[in-house]
Amino acid sequence: MEVVNKKWPIEKLFAQREEILKTWETGNEVADIKKGIEYQKSIPKAKNFAKKLKEAKENKVTLVQPRAGVALVNEHIALLQFLQDEGGADLLPSTIDSYTRQNRYAEAQKGIEESVSSGRSLLNGFPAVNHGLENCRKVVESLKSPVQVRHGTPDARLLAEIALAAGFTDYEGGGISYNIPYAKDVSLEKTIYYWQYVDRLVGYYQENGVEINREPFGPLTGTLVPPSISHSVAILEAILAAEQGVMNLTLGYGQCGNLIQDVAAIQTLEELAEEYLVNNGHENRQLTTVFHQWMGGFPQDEAKAFGVISWGASAAALAKATKVIVKTPHEAMGIPTKEANAQGLRTTKQIINMLKDQTLPESKQLLLEKEMIKKETRAILDATYKIGEGDWAKGAIRAFESGIIDIPFAPSRFNAGRILPARDNDGAIRLLDSGDLPLTKEIQDFHNEKIAIRGKAEDRDPSFQMVIDDIYAIGKGFLVGRPS
Amino acid sequence: MSSNTIVIGVIGADVHAVGNKILDYAFTQAGFKVVNIGVLASQEEFVKAAVETGAVAILVSSLYGHGEIDCRGLRDKCEEAGIGDILLYVGGNLVVGKKEWEPVKKTFLNMGFDRAYPPGTAPETSIEDLKNDLSQGE
Repeated sequence: MEVVNKKWPIEKLFAQREEILKTWETGNEVADIKKGIEYQKSIPKAKNFAKKLKEAKENKVTLVQPRAGVALVNEHIALLQFLQDEGGADLLPSTIDSYTRQNRYAEAQKGIEESVSSGRSLLNGFPAVNHGLENCRKVVESLKSPVQVRHGTPDARLLAEIALAAGFTDYEGGGISYNIPYAKDVSLEKTIYYWQYVDRLVGYYQENGVEINREPFGPLTGTLVPPSISHSVAILEAILAAEQGVMNLTLGYGQCGNLIQDVAAIQTLEELAEEYLVNNGHENRQLTTVFHQWMGGFPQDEAKAFGVISWGASAAALAKATKVIVKTPHEAMGIPTKEANAQGLRTTKQIINMLKDQTLPESKQLLLEKEMIKKETRAILDATYKIGEGDWAKGAIRAFESGIIDIPFAPSRFNAGRILPARDNDGAIRLLDSGDLPLTKEIQDFHNEKIAIRGKAEDRDPSFQMVIDDIYAIGKGFLVGRPS
Repeated sequence: MSSNTIVIGVIGADVHAVGNKILDYAFTQAGFKVVNIGVLASQEEFVKAAVETGAVAILVSSLYGHGEIDCRGLRDKCEEAGIGDILLYVGGNLVVGKKEWEPVKKTFLNMGFDRAYPPGTAPETSIEDLKNDLSQGE
């Protein structure tokens, strides 16, 4: 199969969807695509994700959104209503369970049945495909705010069909960001192709007057990912989505923990994405940003966890991200109670409100950080385009094969896994080993120097042990993993 | 002299790879021969890898809350494959939600695991336990 970055004729989508809708019994409920479009048009403006994001961007406010999902419909609705009413969430999710993410609908069914019989959720999310169209509409109709599907699904075609027909107005994921961090054995050819289907479907709704927002998953593995890597993937997925007719995009980034690097990252993400989209012929796209509070390990102590949440809220507010995805004080323990989830939201909102009139002033350090992120991202993207012989889809596949793009700590065997990130002496994420990333000597020297300063300060040679120390550091109460 | 080969992996539909890579590194450093079957591993893959490599222990990780459904029956599968006596450890965020640890631990020990670890356990803890369990078995 050769996948190219070219808009699908609509007949190609229609021919395929017949097969896709047969992969689980609820698929036939959405067979008539016109009914889905009609239903979407009946949804009030206040409940449309793209419109609410647009307003937030214009007013320079940062919206708050949780993650949440449980096995059963009524419990899921109660959870989301609680987060809306008691947590003050501006935007709502439906986080999908892990069986559905791997298209294992029979196991999801077993999880639903056991959840009914045991009286507690045995699934870590909402199995939207199994529940089907009417149940999903019930979820959307029970809430005042826009709802997004959040998941981690390499092949999310059936889920997308059901979600869009059911009135969800935002869909997370992408052919790279929902493959490399979320799968072991699925090729990029396949997932880029699957996500062209999703983007073409969103594009078709768009052509019929329905605004659907798309959000590539920014944080990737959430483990010391340098901004240039996540930016490269986000921009690639934005270009691939735009080609299929997607008009509204939210690009994401996971908090690193160094404030200057975090603010520089959100600013450059938007600036670079705008530049690359326009240069590839995609003008007039609505671009917004999402900042993810710390995605790595959390402290067990809830008071300390609130500290981590607050620092993420501060960075999101100062960077002026359009929305922030919120963590909870139960993060170290797994899936939170609704009360803990609402606490994370309220903590975040308090800080967002307090910081809404402040920005991080321009400084030499901020400008340098932005310049370096831009140089690195351009080096990676331009090498990707070149190796793809002018095609971004081919380029993405070949870039991963050759290590031009390399995501640290990813489970996929289609990822090179040769780079090693570590924090510098100020806590910013740098490259201890840049593997086969196409970086110039200037960029290499910058990273080497930063890491060397830390090694000297700690009186040790930078090694894998330093990386492990950094991974555990926040859980233990620090940002930089210093030797004890 | 028994082998020092162990099988590690992340069970079920779980893709959490970071801890898996760290356990691989830490157990290797501690002198074990680590057979890492990675994420998204089925019970069958764990058992098959243990049989093929003559492993002395299987270390199951589960971070995403489906551990209870995913781990049930693993001991039976080991018995069917003729490795009923193999050490079985499990650790991570084993159930959905914040739960009291002792009942969770009991659930997994009743399932046939020799040891179960709560979230946030350092690799050194299970390395030490494994060394003790193996020396007692000799």
